[in-house]
Amino acid sequence: MAEQLNIIYLPTPTLPVPAGPDSYDEHRGKETPLIIDNGATNLRYGFATSAEPHTGPNVIAKFKERKSNKQLLIFGEGVEMDSGARAQARNPWEGDVLLNFDALENALDHAFIQLGIDTDAVAHPVLMTERLCSPLHSRALTSELMFEQYSVPSLAYCVDSVMSFYHNNLPATSNPFVSDGLVVSFNTASTSVIPVMSGKGIFSHAKRIPWGTSQASEYLLKRIQLKYPNFPTRVTSTHTTWMLQSLCEFSPDYSALLRELKDPIKLRASERVLQFPFNAPMEVEKTEEELMRIAERRKEQGKKLQEMAAAKRIEKLLQKENDLQYLTDLREGRGKEGKKEWTAKLQSEGFENDAALDAAIKKLDDNLKRSRKKEVDGDDPEPAEEPSFPLLDTPDADEGLKEKRKQKLLKAGFEARARARREKEREKEEREADEQREAEEREENPQGWADRLRREHETTMGRIKERTRRKVALTDRKSAVAQARMKNIASLAADDRVPKKRRKGGGEDMFGADDADWAIYRKINIAAVSSDEEDDLARLGLVEQKLLAHDPTFTHAQTYHSMTTQRSALLLAMRPQYEEGDVEGNTRIHLNTERWRVCEAWFQPSMAGVDSAGLGEVLQNVLARFTDTEKERLVKNVFITGAPSQLPGLIPRLRSTLRPILRPDMQLEIVRASNPSLDAWKGMADFAQTSDFPSVGVSKAEYEEWGGERIRRWWGGNWNSSFVA
Amino acid sequence: MPPKGGNRRKFAPGLASEPSSTPQTPTLIESLSYQHIPKPFKNPNYIKNINRRTKNLKAVLTQERERERVERERRRQEREEEINAGRLSRDAPEEEIPTYTSIEAAPSILPQKHYCDITGLEAPYTDPATGLRYHDKSVYELIKTFNPSTAKEYLVARGVNPIVK
Repeated sequence: MAEQLNIIYLPTPTLPVPAGPDSYDEHRGKETPLIIDNGATNLRYGFATSAEPHTGPNVIAKFKERKSNKQLLIFGEGVEMDSGARAQARNPWEGDVLLNFDALENALDHAFIQLGIDTDAVAHPVLMTERLCSPLHSRALTSELMFEQYSVPSLAYCVDSVMSFYHNNLPATSNPFVSDGLVVSFNTASTSVIPVMSGKGIFSHAKRIPWGTSQASEYLLKRIQLKYPNFPTRVTSTHTTWMLQSLCEFSPDYSALLRELKDPIKLRASERVLQFPFNAPMEVEKTEEELMRIAERRKEQGKKLQEMAAAKRIEKLLQKENDLQYLTDLREGRGKEGKKEWTAKLQSEGFENDAALDAAIKKLDDNLKRSRKKEVDGDDPEPAEEPSFPLLDTPDADEGLKEKRKQKLLKAGFEARARARREKEREKEEREADEQREAEEREENPQGWADRLRREHETTMGRIKERTRRKVALTDRKSAVAQARMKNIASLAADDRVPKKRRKGGGEDMFGADDADWAIYRKINIAAVSSDEEDDLARLGLVEQKLLAHDPTFTHAQTYHSMTTQRSALLLAMRPQYEEGDVEGNTRIHLNTERWRVCEAWFQPSMAGVDSAGLGEVLQNVLARFTDTEKERLVKNVFITGAPSQLPGLIPRLRSTLRPILRPDMQLEIVRASNPSLDAWKGMADFAQTSDFPSVGVSKAEYEEWGGERIRRWWGGNWNSSFVA
Repeated sequence: MPPKGGNRRKFAPGLASEPSSTPQTPTLIESLSYQHIPKPFKNPNYIKNINRRTKNLKAVLTQERERERVERERRRQEREEEINAGRLSRDAPEEEIPTYTSIEAAPSILPQKHYCDITGLEAPYTDPATGLRYHDKSVYELIKTFNPSTAKEYLVARGVNPIVK
């Protein structure tokens, strides 16, 4: 049913093209502000006057190339390309906190090189982003890096989401920024809610949820690994990030969606199939000629072997004949020699006496005759003659006792074998008669025969099921079956098995005298697989075979095997099974409920094990700290920003979450940033060109006096450890 | 005695042959590297503190918490002084300084919805043996066939750590 599936192939990674550095001429000596949006996933940088920033994944790799043995430093997309680079990839961010400053330094190096800066110092005032309430350690080290390493004249920090909000609510030129709104920022490792009143970000009332795209993609990876434990290829988090971005969405009402997806048909309809690359099995197509040639070769080999076997047989025959000849000569020579010499000779040959020699000769003779007959007939005739036991009929005489006993044993053995042969023949006749009868019945009364067989099939299946149920019940200590078993054991071991009187008189426990007593061990011993079960299974197999062969209405689906291994329709819809040899099918991943489940974790992080309130609850908490009038102003402009906010279905979901907790007459407006990934940078660029910008930064002199942690307090930046100057 | 120069030539044959090979075109990855590109904007006099190790997240956060606590103590003391000196009334609100840890959202107080660990649908039932939540009978049959490590993995995905340490 390939046409019903919408198969999506994983995107092949495109090779990055090394771009030459920008020309620096337009900014040389002009001190245009340099805007750096330091994001955990992407680094965006550029001059404030440019329309678009340069972007690149915020990851560097410093490694030694294997072949050329050169030390290389790669930034951005190139890191994914090369396996050596991927192993040494470093990200300046760890989740939400800036920790690795060597990586940051290398990333900034790349940024400045790309911008073409070739002066002694980076002579531009810099505006950089910070995480919401970033730890002082991060800020101190960044300031140190910027001022000492790059000698920037001034540095200002801001919060990215507020700047994005600024960009989308730009006041008219030279008017102060006084917009209100509730900013919901979706970042890589967290999601934050920041209220903005009259143009000032109120960070004391902001909240941050530790759930972002990185956690969501890890969760998706875990779910896929659980669903497909034996998947042939390795699924990585880059794959799942791509899946998250292209296939997952929010659902406005998660519970209603789940109720709908209970139906396996709808489940199948909602799925997306991902085809991973696979190696098609090599099928060598053999032509007719080749097949014939191979068959011929095999025949020839067979013939050769047969010839070799025949030659060996002839050789053995010859050998035996020679032996026989030798021994008969020996016997004839007996007459010529004396007794003593004769016995000595016999002994040297290895025979005890005459009789042994005669017996040996007779054996060889028989052997020869038989094998000669085999050569001619090719088939083993039954010993036609009955060996005679002459001594058995004579009364017990002292001398021939040993002989007599030997002959008795031989006779008994011979008779037993004959009896066994007759039994076998009788059984074969009976079986044939049975089959004949059944065939007749089948032809005369097919329906009746089929019914009878089906009934037997059902009763056997019923018996097997009963046995498995009993076995399962036995594991539970308190079930009736287990208690009955204990009662049996206790009664076997009880002291009063033998009545007191008899015990005094030396009576013994008569357990086991009657053979049926031992049957109790069948019930007690649960470890052994009882032979009954195997018998039942064998009989079931036979019955099924007959039914399959002759009854057209009995299908494979009704056989015991398929009924036990059948999975429910729901599970099959969740994870469709493919044949063993279907390599293409087995490298497919079906995503159905996961598509919404992963996004739902933003609103219910407890689903994924994160002990935090979800987005809806946090919004409610944040709003609760404001008065009604303020609330009204805030919800009139709910602003969502950040690259993950592009996931479909977010706005309807937020609306259905917020609407119930607000007063009905409050107007609720949800707006997404016009360009969620780049608007933060653009907002920063806009701000940097206003006259307010120079007043919010920290100059080099101030850095040297106050250190790297103190910054100026302004509407777009963090408050911790800041001072109002 | 053979001249000494002969030995030297024998020991170092490889070096002599290198310059004769043609320079290879740089691979894509090499052309992306900027290790060798001059960076004039970097201050050569700045010596990084090499002993400084990149602190890990936990250390940074603990340090933050300590600083925050000290800071709060200091502010409280200042406030007390100001109130005693009569400059500030006792009712004036204490200014809240948001920090990385204080910004974090509180744990959820809403009742948790149960979702099936296997299928993701609603899960009204829980298996007492493993603790997994399941949607219906057929999923339960599947759960019965799990071995303990698989069941534990499902639980970990939900965040319930079944290993008691």
